[in-house]
Amino acid sequence: MTTAPGEQVTTTGAGHRGWVGVAFVSPAALLFVVFILGPFVAAIILSFYSWDMLTPSKFNGIGNFTQMFSDATLYKALANTFIFSIASVITHLIGGFLLALGVNRLASRALSYFVRTSLFFPFVISWAAVALLWKYVLDPTFGIVTYYLGEIGITSPDWFTDPHWALPAIIAIDWWHTIGFTFIIMLAGLQTVPGELIEAARSDGCNGWQVLWNVTIPLMSPTIFFAGVITFIGAFQIFDPVQIITPNGGPDNATLTIVMYLYQKGFQSFQVGYASAVSLLVFAIMAAVTALQFWASKKWVHSV
Amino acid sequence: MTDKKSESPSRPSRRSVLQFLGAGAAVPAMSSLAACGGGSSGGPEAAGKGELSLVYLGDATQQKAFNQLFDAFNKAHPDIKIKANGIAAKDWGSFANTVSTQIAGGKIPDIVDVATEGQQLFSSKGLLEPLDSYIKKDRSVTDAFYAGIDPHLKEWTTKYGSPDGRTYFIPGGYNTVVMYCNTEVFSKAGVDLPAPDWSWDEFEKAAKQIKEKTGAYMLGIGYGFPFVDIMPWLLTNGASTMDADWKKATFDTPEAIEAATFVKKLLDAGYSPKPGGSFDAPSAYAKGKLATLGGGRWPTLDIRRLKMVDKTHIVNWPKNKENGSPVGWDGWPILKASKKKDMAWTFLKWLMSKEAGEFYASIGGTNVPALTSVAQSKVFTKDAPKGSELLSKAVSYGAPIPSPAKGAEVQTAVTKAWQAALTGTSSVEAALKKANTHIQGLL
Repeated sequence: MTTAPGEQVTTTGAGHRGWVGVAFVSPAALLFVVFILGPFVAAIILSFYSWDMLTPSKFNGIGNFTQMFSDATLYKALANTFIFSIASVITHLIGGFLLALGVNRLASRALSYFVRTSLFFPFVISWAAVALLWKYVLDPTFGIVTYYLGEIGITSPDWFTDPHWALPAIIAIDWWHTIGFTFIIMLAGLQTVPGELIEAARSDGCNGWQVLWNVTIPLMSPTIFFAGVITFIGAFQIFDPVQIITPNGGPDNATLTIVMYLYQKGFQSFQVGYASAVSLLVFAIMAAVTALQFWASKKWVHSV
Repeated sequence: MTDKKSESPSRPSRRSVLQFLGAGAAVPAMSSLAACGGGSSGGPEAAGKGELSLVYLGDATQQKAFNQLFDAFNKAHPDIKIKANGIAAKDWGSFANTVSTQIAGGKIPDIVDVATEGQQLFSSKGLLEPLDSYIKKDRSVTDAFYAGIDPHLKEWTTKYGSPDGRTYFIPGGYNTVVMYCNTEVFSKAGVDLPAPDWSWDEFEKAAKQIKEKTGAYMLGIGYGFPFVDIMPWLLTNGASTMDADWKKATFDTPEAIEAATFVKKLLDAGYSPKPGGSFDAPSAYAKGKLATLGGGRWPTLDIRRLKMVDKTHIVNWPKNKENGSPVGWDGWPILKASKKKDMAWTFLKWLMSKEAGEFYASIGGTNVPALTSVAQSKVFTKDAPKGSELLSKAVSYGAPIPSPAKGAEVQTAVTKAWQAALTGTSSVEAALKKANTHIQGLL
């Protein structure tokens, strides 16, 4: 190593820079260890124990994991969660993309800001408030949806007590609440599509659909991919609105989600070991699906 | 000192979100808990000076009343301060979950206010200090207290709250279930106010006439809160969810099926808004759109707030076969791990006094005072609807709200079945039979 005249390189300086780096990283690292890594390791340990939170734990080997194979309610919760998550991803990606396309074409800047704010606004409302709001809107006796459906001769279903309608209703409410986030991501992605490429495509004689399919969507694919991954991870952990609107899994467990089931087992049945095993299953599923999404992305996500 | 949290009688809100995602990290603390409890002296010590930690269930309004109660205790015992932690859980199941989680995390209070729903759970885990030696030592106080309460309370506290015959709880206030009638709605519909003991048929006839004449609903029928939504109908038909020993599920008996069928009939006839929505029963009651409210003592607080005391008359729950009401009561234990058992006992002794019962009743307590003399005194009936004395009388024919150790799971099974039966998701018989099998597996 050569050193320019007057330049000082000392191990003290390198060490100093190292400590600065550690100092900057340490708050985040500490929070990660306390709130993510610590509980994660604890969940792994607990999944091999039987523990009711009030008396000492007992080693249970792989008993909690084998129990999952014969747990019909767990399968039901998993099925509901996958239905919810897949529906959520599809409706969010399509809805968010179309809304972004529409808003991006608005000529009036003021109107554009107004629509953006309006679409994003529900996302900043707490889930508890959203859940109660929709309980009013879809009330089977007094709800405004019930009323207006009645006005046009349609008998409103009992949205939250009918097992056929409870999950679709939750999917729709979730969409209303969180579509603003997907929309903003899509809009940001859309605005990074170079205008000259679209102009070039049009000059080559492409119609609107061809521009969208052959230029816009391919260039938007990294954004769509990101939105898909984030939406799936969020949807798979759905808990608050389902618990508030249809407590304990709703009619005939129609809205029982996997995180809700985990909560029931851990904090109502006091089967903390089993709940920990279920939480690891949730983690494994989310990791596997995300890995699958990354693998599939190689085939369709545009890379620069 | 509450038995049921103040909430909409027909629409209790439900459980909260995860309390501690990382509760698992508390394993070491938990494993050492039994050892902590081993240091019990097993008997009374000289009362000391210091701070007692106490956990109870209560929302903001109830916390205000509890704090007044603790202040009153502090005036009588200036050396002992109560550091109270009011948990605004939505029901006793959530409260038990929260307290259990706190205990698991090593935060062990000296005293916990445990409702019937949690008594077997707490005592069966070996967390509580036997109180027999304390009771024996202070006979002058305890004998007078036990002589002054309904004998059922003592009997049930031992029968259901003790796995080994020893005493772990001092019974506190209790709740039964009665029906609050809106006299204006009855009058407007030309329906005579019911006698205290009225029948299902009379109830149905009144509902029909009130609906036709005023458009008001008779009752907010629900399924999420068994204490009011389910148990009164079962018990007034000689049924229950399980037998008196809480060992055998009885949710599919012909009487239980008949009760659920009757409630479904009321719902189908439109005498109640459809469940599952956002119906605000107290508000509708005040506006003359609801004829009755079901509940224990706690609706009295709503009735006062809505200035409906003079327009309300309390009667028993209508019956088909016999009078019936669930009974839930507070149990006050001392935790085995407490290092201030003597001070804790001083507080429990004070709670047993007439002075404490009267004080709590006067500041708007949400239950019926344990001492019968207080429950039937003017302190309790003042600024309360006519017929309030029926609340304490109901304990004589009532039955303890079934609360086995796996109470939360049983409750979920019961409410789901009642929901399915009422909303027609399943036939009444099929729903109750399926739940009965499930419940039996939990007992």
